[in-house]
Parts: sequence; C-alpha cells; structure tokens
Amino acid sequence: MLEINNISKSFYRNIALDDVSLRVNKGEIYGLLGPNGAGKTTLIRIINRIIEPDKGHIRFNGDLMTEKHLEVIGYLPEERGLYKSMTVEDHAIFLGRLRGLSKKDVQMKLNYWLEKFQITDWRIKRIEELSKGMAQKIQFICTVLHEPDLLILDEPFSGFDPINVELIKQELIEMRAKGKTIILSTHNMRSVEEICDRAALIHASKKVAEGRISELQEERKTGLYAVKFRGNMIAFVNALWVGFEIEDKEILGDDRFVVRVKMRGDNQFEDLLKVLIGQVKIEAAWEVLPTMQDVFIDLVKVKEEVKND
Amino acid sequence: MTKSWLIAVRELKERIGSRSFLLLSIMGPMIILLMISMLFVLGDQGKQHWNVLITDPAGIMENKILANEDKSVNYSFGDSYLEIEDFRDGKRFQEFDAMLEINEKVLQNKTVFVFFRDKPSVRMQTRVQFHVERRLEERMVDEFTDLSVQEFRKIKQPMNVAFRNVYDPNDESSDKRGWVGFFFGAVIFSFIFLFGMTILRSISREKSNRIVEVLLASVNPRQLMAGKIAGIGIAAFLQFLIWGLIIGLGLYLMRSYIFTNPLEVANMDIQQLSDEGSRYSLDQMFQAREYNEFVELIFERVRFSTMIFYFLMFFIGGYFFYASFFAAIGSTSGSESDGQQFVLPLVFILLASIYAGYYSLENPDALIVDYLQYIPFTSPIVVMVKLAYGYGPGEAYQIWLSLIILLVSSLLTMMIAGRLYKNGILQFGHRVKFSLLIKWLGKS
Repeated sequence: MLEINNISKSFYRNIALDDVSLRVNKGEIYGLLGPNGAGKTTLIRIINRIIEPDKGHIRFNGDLMTEKHLEVIGYLPEERGLYKSMTVEDHAIFLGRLRGLSKKDVQMKLNYWLEKFQITDWRIKRIEELSKGMAQKIQFICTVLHEPDLLILDEPFSGFDPINVELIKQELIEMRAKGKTIILSTHNMRSVEEICDRAALIHASKKVAEGRISELQEERKTGLYAVKFRGNMIAFVNALWVGFEIEDKEILGDDRFVVRVKMRGDNQFEDLLKVLIGQVKIEAAWEVLPTMQDVFIDLVKVKEEVKND
Repeated sequence: MTKSWLIAVRELKERIGSRSFLLLSIMGPMIILLMISMLFVLGDQGKQHWNVLITDPAGIMENKILANEDKSVNYSFGDSYLEIEDFRDGKRFQEFDAMLEINEKVLQNKTVFVFFRDKPSVRMQTRVQFHVERRLEERMVDEFTDLSVQEFRKIKQPMNVAFRNVYDPNDESSDKRGWVGFFFGAVIFSFIFLFGMTILRSISREKSNRIVEVLLASVNPRQLMAGKIAGIGIAAFLQFLIWGLIIGLGLYLMRSYIFTNPLEVANMDIQQLSDEGSRYSLDQMFQAREYNEFVELIFERVRFSTMIFYFLMFFIGGYFFYASFFAAIGSTSGSESDGQQFVLPLVFILLASIYAGYYSLENPDALIVDYLQYIPFTSPIVVMVKLAYGYGPGEAYQIWLSLIILLVSSLLTMMIAGRLYKNGILQFGHRVKFSLLIKWLGKS
C-alpha cells in the first residue's frame, strides 16, 4: 500500500529523518512509535506532502506518490484545530470539498457519521459552542468523511477523553475490517498492543525496528515465565531447586501467588511444570512477553548506549 | 485553483458574516458623509460682522448700496483708487475686513474683486455678492436700458464676484482638487491597512489553532495563501462597493436637498428677487443660496469617472502588494503577539506613503513626486493626487507605467511571501529574527 524508501530530511543543521524506509501493507493498522522529537511528525508530514523530503521517495499502491493521492488519504494531525465560528456542517463541507467531495456527498456522509455517534443535533452548532470532547469527535469525522483508503492519525489519543479513545479505537478496528489502512503515530503503547498489527520504532531520526507486534515482543523476550498457583510459597521455592531463579512474586491472597521465574541452564518451560506438579496447585502458567512499553524502552536504551559508545 | 477558490470563499463568508464587517460597512461611509457635510458646514464659519470699504473712484455706485439695514455688513465708500498693498498695510484701513473694488468699467466687464484679510464665511460672501449685484443691476438698468429694475431682473445673468485673499490675489495656492486625490489615496491605504491586518490575524489565528496543518494536507501553502488573500481582498472590495454606494447616495441626497446649487435657475426664486419687499427677507433668501467651495469641489470639479477607474486599478495593485507583506508576517511569526512587532515597520511604511501623498499634494510639480509615483509603496496615493490635479497631455503613459510597475512588483512580493509562507507556516513557538527570514527565503 505505502512504501517509504530512504527518506531523509533535515532542517538546516538538524537531521529530522535519516534514511528511513517503511512498508505499510493494505488493511493493517500500523503503529509509528518513537519518543518525542524522534521524527514521527516529520515523516507523517512528508507522507501528506506538507513538506518535501530532501532525499528518498514514497510509493502509493505501487505508483510514485503525487498530489492526487491526497484525496484518498485522511490526516488527523497531532495539533488539530477547527474554525471556531463555523458550524459543524459548514466545516465538514469545507474540508470535504477540499478533499474532492461534492457538497451533496459531504452532507450524506456527515449524516451517516452524526447518526452513528448519535449527535445529529450538532449539525448546525458552531464549533465554539462545542466542548473539547465534542470537537474531537467532529475532527475525527472530518478526517474520515471522504472514506480515505489510508488514514493517518498523529497521536490520536492525546487529549481525547477515555470514552472518545474507546470510540475511536472501535472505529479504527471497524475500518480495518473494511480493508482500510491506518497509520497510527503514538506513544500510547497500550493502544499499540491492542489494535496495531505491525509497528516501526523511530528513534533519533532513524528507524530502529519494524515488524509484527508479536515479532517485536518475541525478539525482546527474556526467557521469563509466570506461574499462578495455590499452595505454600515455601513448597514452591523448595520445588524449584537450582535450575530456576525467581524473578519476582505477587501475592494474591487466599494462598494464591503469581511468581515469575527465569530458566537456568538448559531448562525449559516443561521442566518447570514437571518440578512443580504435585508440590503446588497450578492454576495457570505462561510465557511472559515484554509489553510494547518494555520493547520501546529497551530499544531506545540500546540505541542510546550504542550512541554513547 | 479550485482549492484556492474554496479557501477564498470560506474566508469571504467568514468576513461578511462577522459583525465588524457589517458595522464597518455602515459606520464607515456614514462617518465620511458626516465629515463631508461638516466640511460643507465649516466652510460657513467666519466673522459674523464685516466692515467693507468700497473703493469706487468713478462713483458708479453713487455711494449707495441696497441693504444698509443688513446688520451683518457695514459698507463705507471711498472715492479714490487704492492699491491692495496700501489697503493691506495702511493704518487707517485696518478697521476694514475687506476692500471691494469697483473698477471704472464694471458695468462692461461685470467683475468686482473683494480683497479680504480673513476668509469670509460662505454666507458672508453670498451676502456681499448679493448686495453688490443688486446695486450694480440698478445702475446697469439705468445706464443701458429703458427697462424697470423688476423687468430686468427677470432676464438677468449672474455677476461674477471673485473672492481673493489679499496675500494671494492670484489664488495660486488652490489645492482643493488635489485633496480629492489625496482622499482617494488615503482610502486605498486605509483599506490596505484594515484588510492587511485581517490577513495577518487570520493567518496567525489559523497557525495558532493549528487548523493550518489539516488544510495543508489538502492544499499546498501557496494555494492557501493565495486563496486567503483573494478572499479577504474580495471582502475588502465588497466593502468598498458598499461604501461607494452609500457615500454616492448620500452625496446625491445632499445635493438634492441640503447643499443645492444657487446659480441654477431652478433654485432661484426670481419672483421673490423682483419683489421690492424681498430686501426685508434676505435671510430667508440666503437659505436657498447656501453654497460653498467644498460643495462645488465635490459636485462640480472632480472627474469621478476617470478617478474611479484608476482608483480601482491602484486599489487592487496596492492591496496585493501590501497584502503579501502582511501574509508573510502572519505566517512567519512564532506566536500571535510576535507578529504584532513586525507590523510596526509596515505601519511606518504605510504612514510614510500617506505623507508622500500629502507631499505631492503640496508640491505636485516637485521632481521627487515624479519618482514617488513609480515606487510601488507610494504610487497608489501619489498617482491619485496627481490624477486629481490632472496629468498633462502626453503624460498619461506615466499612470500606466506606474500601474504596470505596481502590478509586477505585487507579483514579485507575492512570490517572496509565498516562499516565506511555505517555510514559516508550520514553525511554531520561535522568535522571528531577520536571519531566520533570510534562511527561509533561501529555501525553495
């Protein structure tokens, strides 16, 4: 769907993007992760042709990207505004027409969204009469009004109230089901785990990782397993013997615990279960994968260390 | 193009929908009409009582004048010719406000000069003219006809009474027409300032509420800037049309009902004049004869058709020229207040240009004015002033040259502003420095 090839961009002496290449597949939600100032917004602006790259090119559905592709892209910037004195409808018509829709189309589609969000009476309200949360919904509607094939959201959840965040997540999942492609730039890692299929991490102007969420987590797993059991903690510790190491434990009450264990030597998960069976009553056991938060911090840290060396 | 148009239409709708636009559309022309009528009325201010010395060496008036019962003018007769210098400086003439010179051939050349020290009110001028005219009429009727005075007054022609300043007997400093040009130029600059500030505010507001990034995902920065300037320009033009309409209508109504032209036969009550009793209702008659130079200036001396055409051309050229500066300031400023500082130099330029207009008003033939009329910063007002004075034959090319220079420079400044706009519009929270602007200019 979208191929970003060797994009570099610098502002005077500051390098914002250094040879970044990404591939976003059709019908997926793609997370663009990175700390503040990493270059995410610059990359998004380049995709939206708001600024031009110094080097590199972008392909959209195999073609070199041109201005006409903008009509099938929807963009919700991080810093987003609305004209305060305009009504919701006028605003939608204005932005919709800029994206190539006719006035009639806009009105039809606006109806659909207002009904869907159960806010039909907002149509003639002026933006300044709306609360912040209400305005956020309108911003989202204006972004997706022209049914873009590619939706780019820059920090969509920052500043949104939890109800809107949930609402928008559901919308995004629904849109993906319809075959739309979504790029999500965020540092809200929970939402990445929840809805993203793949992600790339950008740090200090460079791409440091890209892949499926599970792959990224897999790559950074530390051989940690968790066991949830009922019984005696001393019995548990005795059973482990020397082949395993307890990382931490969590007491749940009613003699129930969750203990995270690291393998030593050649020991496997199965070995752990074997030594425990009969000693405690195992309720659940699983491999502990790092959260995206951990992956993110880990990657950034590694990068910093490399840089310092 | 379509996108620029969409931006322009939105901008236009917002301007027209705003309360200030409506207020300005009505209040602006009303204030100007009020000012014009105040000029008309102020033209009537002056000494309420006049002491006039009539020098009549030939004794044509026979030491008699119509209205000695009129308390506001006191006439004395002198039977010898008097140089104006003697009258001006002579001690014994200081009690007189004016010298009315009856030359020996007055009955043939029908011209009387009134040399005044302080400019009389229009009402006073009309009174003196009226008194002298009546008396000389009687003398002419005696001299040349067998008619009675009443019969004569039915067929009479108005007498030319020229009021001249003793310090400027040839009336050289008359710059009234130039003032009209200056006024037109000042209107251009007021509109430029007013709507230039609107451009600046509109751009920095879009910048600060960050809608600009949403827009830039659909239109390129140049389209956005062009649409914005055009939209606000159309609003300015519309406002100007409304002004023109209201002021035009107001002047027309004033002409018809308040400041009527006394020399038009339709406005004279001949029946009343020929009535001997009329000398006792002079005041009533003067009501119908109110007339002054501003009325004359506005209704008679300005060639509105030519002025309006060039006015519009220079209005458009000047607007685009200056608008690009305002747009550049708006787009490069880091915050809304940041831009305000950069407006100041621009305001100075605008004021200096208005002064240039005033300078050309005072010295229309100065060499520097010839140059000022080509400089796009000053040309809209200087050309207006020069136009009002009138270009000589074979000089019309100067207007067109000036107009072409203005339009070409506006294109140039628009291109420069476009570049600054493109590089500055997504930069936030910085302080504008000159070096930064140069950098942005250098980037394509």
